[in-house]
Amino acid sequence: MPLPVPLTEAQVYHRCPPEVLSFATTESLDDLELPCGQERVLRALEFGAGMSAAGFNLFVLGPSGVGKHDLVNRFLTRHAAQQTVPSDWCYVLNFQQAEKPRVLAFPAGQGRSFRQDMADLASELRTSVPATFESEEYQARLQELQEEVSQHQQEGLSAIQQEANDNNIAMITTPTGFTFAPMRRNGEVIDPDDYQKLSDDERTLIESKVEDLEKKLQQSIQQIPKLRKEVRERVRSLNEEMVQLTLGAPMGELRERWSHLPEVIRYLDAVQEDVVEHAELFRDNEHGPPKALLARYDINLLVDNADTRGAPVVYEDLPSHQHLTGQIEHHARQGTLYTDFTLIRGGSIHRANGGYLIIDARRILTQPLAWESLKRVLLSSELRIESLERLYGLMSTVSLQPEPIPVSVKVVLLGDRMLYYLLSHYDPDFLELFKVEADFADDLERREDGYLLYARMVATIARSLGTRPVQRDAVARLIEHGSRMADDQRKVSAHDRVIRDLLSEADHWAGTEGAHTMDASHVQRAIDEREYRASRVRELSREQITRGIVMIATKGHAIALVNGLSVLQLGASRFGQPTRISATARPGKGQVVDIEREAKLGGPIHSKAVMILSRFLASRYAGEGELSLSASVAFEQSYGGVEGDSASVAETCVLLSAIARIPLRQSYAVTGSMNQHGDVQAVGGVNEKIEGFFDVCREAGVVDGQGVLLPASNVEHLMLRADVREAVADGRFRIYPISHIDQAIALLTDLPAGAPDADGVFPEGSVNAAVAERLSRFVAISKAQDDEAKPSEPGGENDHG
Amino acid sequence: MASPTGAAGPPGRILVLLDGSRLSRAALAAAADIAGREGREVLGVFVEEDNLLRSAAYPFTREVGGTSGERRPMDRILLEQRLRRLAERARSALTELEAQRGFPCDLSVIRGHVVDEVLALARPQDLLVLGRSGWSEAIGMRLGSTARGLMHQAPGVVLLWCETRKPVQRVVVLLNDHDDANERALLAAQSVCRHRQQPVTVVVPAGDGLTASKLADLKAATAVFGKGCRLRQLASMGAATVARVLREEGASQLVISRQSALFCQPGIEPLLLALNLPVTVTP
Repeated sequence: MPLPVPLTEAQVYHRCPPEVLSFATTESLDDLELPCGQERVLRALEFGAGMSAAGFNLFVLGPSGVGKHDLVNRFLTRHAAQQTVPSDWCYVLNFQQAEKPRVLAFPAGQGRSFRQDMADLASELRTSVPATFESEEYQARLQELQEEVSQHQQEGLSAIQQEANDNNIAMITTPTGFTFAPMRRNGEVIDPDDYQKLSDDERTLIESKVEDLEKKLQQSIQQIPKLRKEVRERVRSLNEEMVQLTLGAPMGELRERWSHLPEVIRYLDAVQEDVVEHAELFRDNEHGPPKALLARYDINLLVDNADTRGAPVVYEDLPSHQHLTGQIEHHARQGTLYTDFTLIRGGSIHRANGGYLIIDARRILTQPLAWESLKRVLLSSELRIESLERLYGLMSTVSLQPEPIPVSVKVVLLGDRMLYYLLSHYDPDFLELFKVEADFADDLERREDGYLLYARMVATIARSLGTRPVQRDAVARLIEHGSRMADDQRKVSAHDRVIRDLLSEADHWAGTEGAHTMDASHVQRAIDEREYRASRVRELSREQITRGIVMIATKGHAIALVNGLSVLQLGASRFGQPTRISATARPGKGQVVDIEREAKLGGPIHSKAVMILSRFLASRYAGEGELSLSASVAFEQSYGGVEGDSASVAETCVLLSAIARIPLRQSYAVTGSMNQHGDVQAVGGVNEKIEGFFDVCREAGVVDGQGVLLPASNVEHLMLRADVREAVADGRFRIYPISHIDQAIALLTDLPAGAPDADGVFPEGSVNAAVAERLSRFVAISKAQDDEAKPSEPGGENDHG
Repeated sequence: MASPTGAAGPPGRILVLLDGSRLSRAALAAAADIAGREGREVLGVFVEEDNLLRSAAYPFTREVGGTSGERRPMDRILLEQRLRRLAERARSALTELEAQRGFPCDLSVIRGHVVDEVLALARPQDLLVLGRSGWSEAIGMRLGSTARGLMHQAPGVVLLWCETRKPVQRVVVLLNDHDDANERALLAAQSVCRHRQQPVTVVVPAGDGLTASKLADLKAATAVFGKGCRLRQLASMGAATVARVLREEGASQLVISRQSALFCQPGIEPLLLALNLPVTVTP
């Protein structure tokens, strides 16, 4: 197998020559309305926003920082502008059941007019109804009524009194009623002794008359409550009549004005009935009608779309249950809580009704029960305002149950992919309600003909941030950095936030230099400063290597030791560093011990990689024979756990070195995963790994002859730093693209790996031959040991079987 | 110089008729206000009505309940006990009033006929205060027999008190062509409105008798009521016209002389029955 040629400078970095950009600064470029390279998301948004069927809500998924919110907001705002403005919604008192306020819908903007109309009506009621009651006509009629009844009452009593007088019987008032007694003509009651002197007939006549008068008086008095009730009813009828007359004109005007809305007409009828019913309260108060009475005719304009253009687009930044579905507030009066329909407050679903509601998926999921409430609204297509405590039966006091509002809202959830997949898997309602998946691309295709679009995107961002114009060399540098962020020469990162942050920082540095435009040096400084700010842990790690505390050799040869490469991610930054991998080998039962796994420091992928290499060794070197090997692999001075399979090429090489006792070149570091046939496969973080090893080599002395072996399929992921590229160009640092384990073996040992002949025998002097030869010896040793052990342990094999 | 109550000589006592009814308690409160302002003695008068006691001695008489209409036998002993309890309560109320307000209060308990006994007790300079109706107010009587008798026969000023929900508004004084009576009525009105700064409307009969000089004198006499005083001339002083004017003026108290032509007409009682407001009747 031919050995690979070291990569050239051009292969390790995809430059963007400023000359290909046909502008001087971004000032001359037009804004980009929608971001480039996100066609899939845009088509999904177009479809989802226009689809009216139920359940076609959207979930926009993508990593944070790609500008999901900005794009969705811009897209929906443009889309919604073409749509009709939705209705206004009001809550009004339900005169029959005050605890169940009624809802009224109005064409956009008319809710405000109706509220004003009702305020005017209340104002009219405040003055005109009491004025009616104070009018001469009303007073006279009331007087007539009362007089009529009073007169009736007085007449009854007077008639009895007169009858008593005519019969010489006195009607006398007592503290609790009346009594009758015989009297003389001068009005004096006859002394009882004198009364006895009257004849029996006279006495019988008098007593009979007294009894008769008592009965008449009794009858008359017992009619008084009935008379009083009658007068109350008649006064009430009079009041109603007067109020009807007073309300006639203003109500007629309102009815005519709102005749196009039958529900409103029904409400106005109810208002009129209520005013008539409460006519007494309008009359009885010295300071005009009580405020609470007029408040019955208030309008709670929950959703006012008078100033809305197109369909509303609402972003709810705190999607709690209350903020979404609204709430019922209370007034505290002397320690007691009161509420009424005027204290109903709308939520973001109310405001977005008829339009679009944008919610951050993670936030709604972290708010107690908000997710369930949102689903409930979407499933039922109506919105009920209920407090959480009432919804879950924690409070049983009487409160309001406002009439539900029909809802037609398109919800757009923004979240990362993991949330989308988790919700799809665990929430049975989710896919029913969020049928449109808008998946953001992490990276964009990097093509020369697309540079101008990218530049326009930079120009748009720069303008929105208010930064200086960006020179074309700076745009070129941003494109290159975008590729580095994407870890791919053929892609650029779609992370909007990174470009924004970088532009802001570069603008700052340009400002410190007094520059009027941003150039590549400012962008580079922004990148370097970010790197520097995040470099504390990296420098500590490198220092430990330089001081020999962590042992890494960058020159010479050693048996059973090799430099592996790993990547550490800390917050938003990551860096690579070499790790020494060691191995041991002795005769055994064909097992490779993964020390990391035994110590519970290895992850499952790493364990899988070790198992793969174990099987590779067995199949390649033992063939149909027996493999006698007890080997171990360990990451030296690694205490934080190991995961991934990117060290499997290095682990294979170090194991072969341990078996064959052939030294490995320490000036090379190795990365790459391997399959069971020895093919080398791509890994992640190659740029950081190479730069990490380069830095260690530089700090150990002069970089001269060191290098890195990496999977050939990773070459197009290389976007290396300038100093590394320089060393590559000078031939001081070599990067070998390998595609098979044998290439790694040959490069690390300076010996041919050796391909087996038709009989499976490796050529003399090759590394593989040495490995096969040593393993044969292990087999012989194992057999000898087994033979020695047999006499003392008869039937032992069977026992283990 | 006449006293503020309209009678000649120094101001006399305030006689309050107490029978334990709701309106008699209200009348006592009104009397206490006047006594407090004018520093007069209050004499409560409680009359054990002879006719009532006699009627209770009959075996066949029944009391018809004023509210329920139920008939119950009467017992003289029980009635006397009840009257004594009411008198005792009246005495306690006066004692409390004396302690609180500082003016002298006394109670006279008399047995006899109410109107006769009060007339025997009252002097021309005394102000007589009583409820417009007594116990019969419970069944809607607006003018009781005692009030009816005393407003015509009392020697001095009589204040027929009632409770009204109306705010304190104008005092309306009805005058006639009797100069002395007019003077007494105006003095009584002055006494009434002085404390509460109430505006006054003076109503005079228009006609030949009301000459320019008389009108000028009247205006001069009413100057004491201040700028808010209104003088209205009425072509007719009939009960219906007066009732309308009183409503128009928003009257909260009426002052009328016993010498007034209207007072002598049979229409005064219907007028008083129709108007539920305190009435001051001057000699």
